[in-house]
Amino acid sequence: MRDTGIRGSGIPDFRDSETLEFGVVQARRQARAAEAAQEAQAAEAVSVRGLPRHWLLVLFGAAVLPGAVLVVVGRSLEEPAVQAWRTVCLAVTVQALPFLLLGTALSGAINAFVPASVFSRLLPKRPALAVPVAGVAGVVLPGCECASVPVANSLIGRGVTPAAAFAFLLSAPAINPVVLTATAVAFPGSPEMVLARLLASLVTAAAMGWLWLWLGREEWLRPAVRHTGHRAGHSRWEEFRQGFQHDFLHAGGFLVVGAMAAATFNVAVPRSVLDVFSGSPWLSVLFLAALAILLAVCSEADAFVAASLSGFSPVARLAFMVVGPMVDLKLIALQAGTFGRAFAVRFSSATVVVAVVCSAVVGGVLL
Amino acid sequence: MKRFMRVALLVLCGLGLLQTALFTDEYLRFVKPGMRWLLIASGVVLVGLGVLEALSARLGRKERGRHEGHHEGPGEHDGHGHDHSRVPRVAWLLFLPVLSLLFYAPPALGSYTAAREPAKVVAVQDDGFDPLPATSPLPITLTGFTQRVQQDRSRAIKGRAVQLTGFVSPADGGGWYLTRILISCCAADATTLKVRVYGGTPPKADTWVTVTGTWHPGGTLGTSSAAVAVDARSLKKVRKPSNAYMDALPLG
Repeated sequence: MRDTGIRGSGIPDFRDSETLEFGVVQARRQARAAEAAQEAQAAEAVSVRGLPRHWLLVLFGAAVLPGAVLVVVGRSLEEPAVQAWRTVCLAVTVQALPFLLLGTALSGAINAFVPASVFSRLLPKRPALAVPVAGVAGVVLPGCECASVPVANSLIGRGVTPAAAFAFLLSAPAINPVVLTATAVAFPGSPEMVLARLLASLVTAAAMGWLWLWLGREEWLRPAVRHTGHRAGHSRWEEFRQGFQHDFLHAGGFLVVGAMAAATFNVAVPRSVLDVFSGSPWLSVLFLAALAILLAVCSEADAFVAASLSGFSPVARLAFMVVGPMVDLKLIALQAGTFGRAFAVRFSSATVVVAVVCSAVVGGVLL
Repeated sequence: MKRFMRVALLVLCGLGLLQTALFTDEYLRFVKPGMRWLLIASGVVLVGLGVLEALSARLGRKERGRHEGHHEGPGEHDGHGHDHSRVPRVAWLLFLPVLSLLFYAPPALGSYTAAREPAKVVAVQDDGFDPLPATSPLPITLTGFTQRVQQDRSRAIKGRAVQLTGFVSPADGGGWYLTRILISCCAADATTLKVRVYGGTPPKADTWVTVTGTWHPGGTLGTSSAAVAVDARSLKKVRKPSNAYMDALPLG
């Protein structure tokens, strides 16, 4: 930004050519501007060392801004829509936390206390056979879907073939006695709905297990999920406590992500939209499957929600109850956190397709 | 520091659950009453985990003091498949619901949710209706009233003074509904019961009121075409029940 090129070059300031004269004048102007800028910079440098320029303004801003932000945020928290969002978000979190705690405690216990040989003895050697057995074993885990993700993870860590663990992951929240009882209560006088739910969920879980055997790749699973179980020389209780605690904090964070997403859809999409789709039998199946993913209702309650969607065909309501416990926003968040994003996206989308097809077929035959 | 964060997260999570389920009944804004003991147990377990974590920090320090240089430090658990001592970054999000539970719990769902949802379809009562009790005005639930109006072929409700309790939610076009929100598991699956109220000045949305009145004629009584509505004779403000998510008779 130095102007020596012109001033010191000895070129006369004024010439005949107007254009040149113009050019020189401009150069001078630029030079002056540059000097001014340098001075300003110097002045600023001085003032930084002392007090910032406009320090009164800065002080004033510091005093007023946080207050203003607080007021604006506070006001918006009082908005009815935001309040409803907060209530739904907290409701999903509070409802799921005890079951998540149960699931992470169970997974911690499996890691610390159950030797890997137990599973290899209980499950058939051939993975293709282990898949349906693990699917049926889902009956033993009472609770909703949040509990099954950490448990499935710890099963994989204990050497259970991933395909079998995934069959368990999908079937456990849908076919345990608590959920089946709730379904029977929600659909009084139609036991075929309970049977259809049991069958469609089992078939979907087994199909997804086999699909994983056929197409699944280990590298989609996050390698960090490997628990190594008990190691000699360490206290089992201490291992249990640490695994439990870590898994809970980890899964709890993802639960909050999922609850927020579910609350957003819950508040943003009014239920009256539903009636638009209830007319067409095929669209309504797809629509209720999508709704199950977005609403993220706990699997112990989804039968009641399905029962309240009275405008829809039984097959569509079955699809709602089959898809819901296997794929929903909070589960996708939990799976992404536990198994990695690459897995969660592929697995969830494949599960939706398989679940919709299974419930359409089973529902078509039974309902 | 990491250890401190873990302890703080666990203890606060536990306290949040205890605050909502044990010290207050705010949990009823989110879930069913049956969840109470599960929530309290979870709160106790979480506080316990936090305390154990804090204790193990002190024990670990003592241990290290005894055999100098043997341990790499608290939380460094060698060679384990993944490091359990790290606080997963996503766990920080738990602070949001926990602090909200502790200090700034949102209210139960109200007129905003009710206004955006169609009224719930009440269950069909298969085995006929008992004769209505003779008391007048007759306290009745919103479900009971809807069933009487739309399903009772004997039309016993006709001309009877009834007493209904719920909160106010605005209707399109200036009127208002007496409303109840019901949940089957948590507030995410809320359904709405509504009775249209005619007559009187509409109270502010979300106030709880008891309406005394008679069936507002519209459609054919005893069939699904009948209007679920009352002509209000009197209106009384009542206290909001602690469990707002059920369709119960007004107390007293």
